[in-house]
Amino acid sequence: METERAPLISLRNVNLWYGTVQALRDVSVDFYQGELVGLVGDNGAGKTSLVNIISGIVAPTSGEVYLDGQRITSFHPKLAIDLGVETTQQSVGLCDNLSIARNYFLGREPVRRIAGIPFIDLGKMRKEGRKAITAFGLRESVDVDGEVALLSGGERQAFKIARAVYFRSRILIMDEPTNNLSVRERERVNDLAVQLKDQSLLVIYITHDIFQIHRIADRFIILENGAKVADVPRNLMSAEDLERIIREGVGNDAGSPRSG
Amino acid sequence: MRVSLARFVLKRPETSAVVVTAILVTFLTITTGGTWLSFANLQSVSRITAVLAIMAFGEALVISTGEVDVSVGSVFAMGALIFIGVGRTVNLGVALLLALGGGLLIGLLNGAVVAFFRVPSLIVTLGTLFLFRGIAYGVTEGFYFGASDEVRSRLIFNVMGGANLGGVNVAVLWALVALLVLHVVMFYMPMGNRILAVGGNAASAYSRGVNVARVRLIVFALSGLLAAFAGMLDAASIGYVDGSFGELMELEAIAAAVLGGCSLVGGRCSLLGTLLGAFLLRAVGSYLVILGIQPQWFILLLGVIVVLASLSDRVLTKLLFRLQQR
Ligand SMILES: Nc1ncnc2c1ncn2[C@@H]1O[C@H](COP(=O)(O)OP(=O)(O)OP(=O)(O)O)[C@@H](O)[C@H]1O
Ligand SMILES: [Mg+2]
Repeated sequence: METERAPLISLRNVNLWYGTVQALRDVSVDFYQGELVGLVGDNGAGKTSLVNIISGIVAPTSGEVYLDGQRITSFHPKLAIDLGVETTQQSVGLCDNLSIARNYFLGREPVRRIAGIPFIDLGKMRKEGRKAITAFGLRESVDVDGEVALLSGGERQAFKIARAVYFRSRILIMDEPTNNLSVRERERVNDLAVQLKDQSLLVIYITHDIFQIHRIADRFIILENGAKVADVPRNLMSAEDLERIIREGVGNDAGSPRSG
Repeated sequence: MRVSLARFVLKRPETSAVVVTAILVTFLTITTGGTWLSFANLQSVSRITAVLAIMAFGEALVISTGEVDVSVGSVFAMGALIFIGVGRTVNLGVALLLALGGGLLIGLLNGAVVAFFRVPSLIVTLGTLFLFRGIAYGVTEGFYFGASDEVRSRLIFNVMGGANLGGVNVAVLWALVALLVLHVVMFYMPMGNRILAVGGNAASAYSRGVNVARVRLIVFALSGLLAAFAGMLDAASIGYVDGSFGELMELEAIAAAVLGGCSLVGGRCSLLGTLLGAFLLRAVGSYLVILGIQPQWFILLLGVIVVLASLSDRVLTKLLFRLQQR
């Protein structure tokens, strides 16, 4: 509609209910290849819910989802990953009981086949895991064979981002990626998001840091109480306006409670 | 250096099982004046350990995913009854396939209900425990199924538990094969990585594309298969089977896995430890027999051992955590 390019991902009239809680209300939105989209909104606005649909964690209660113009009918993370969606989740993604190396490749372990039987390529898992640790400013002392449980909050976050970047293909979703990160690491993540967009990936970036995202994103989608209340290119809205809308709301929800 | 060795030792989930086993063997040998360590006793302990271990390996896999399978004792009976029952009337080869297939099917049934309906595994497998124990009592009608001399002379029967090689029952070899194969699957193949991931954090595993339902289905299927296999091996070496065959053995299997260092909340597994756990339980059992103590006391002792083991697990975990903080 707004451009002649075909959208990479398209949501049409999507509703999502968790039991009696409506997390998304009639959301229609398009995402294009090579853009960095800032997905913003208050706590509980439905940001994570929206990306959970794209990364296959949940299925919408109603509405349609298209990828490359193809209707998606079954929702499963494996399917999304195979279609090129890589995600750094807000609250899941790491198994504390497994080593860093094993977490890095969880679900797509590199294998070496001996007589057709798949054996984990532990060497490769360690090597790539170690690379991620050093490339992402994790302590030198961090051991790839050590359990993820031993990492600090920021280290866990850095690890998740490093992993997503390693496996990136067409779509990268980052749900509050800079949480727990130092100023320097935050800069690093933001630069990376821009770089990946320049490599013509679609980057969907969720954050509460409005001024940061305003610097780097091409477009903003604002959610409020599960509904899309704004979808604007950066040049049409200042960071201050963006923040004000999120803070004060557009007031079109007619006071309807989220749960009911 | 000292710390890193300690760390390595403590990191191994089977550490406490090794220590307890060593102490126990010494104790048993000394207090029975060497009788416990006699060849005849070791022969019987190794066989009954092997049978329990094979069942406990399956239990260990289920426990690793954070579930539990209490139906294994009944599946054990089904495997034994089908093998001996069908073997003496129809054909041993068919009996073998039916026994293993039956165990696999019961496991799949348990697994499917747990994986697709998310019913707690304790409830589901409690149901199948009663169901198949009922069937076991029903088909035997208070009697037992015995294998004829003709059946006992057959190759399949001997390979499946009937024979002793150099004094050691073939079940011991089967247990070692199962240990090796399952250890490789758990720690050197993608499936094992996913089993541990599901036990550690199922939602995270799911988000990384792991088919969590399939993992659950597979561990229950393997548990059923192994329990039936163990039942077959035991029945073939004893030569007969009745309706109470394998009763309460599910508790021993769970105890063996937990003693061996498998965490009941999932995510931590040791098959070598499980073998040692099975040995511990069976060693204590044989000790009571040697001392002429009523076997009923074994249940009490089983309880004490499990409580102590879970306590020592907590203590070890805390110690490990402190060491890792350095
Ligand atoms: N698994 C769930 N079960 C029930 N309700 C849920 C679940 N996940 C989210 N919700 C509800 O759905 C609504 C939207 O949640 P969501 O996580 O999408 O918000 P968000 O915009 O990501 O918030 P935040 O900025 O705090 O991460 C909230 O009211 C939340 O309580
Ligand atoms: Mg969120």
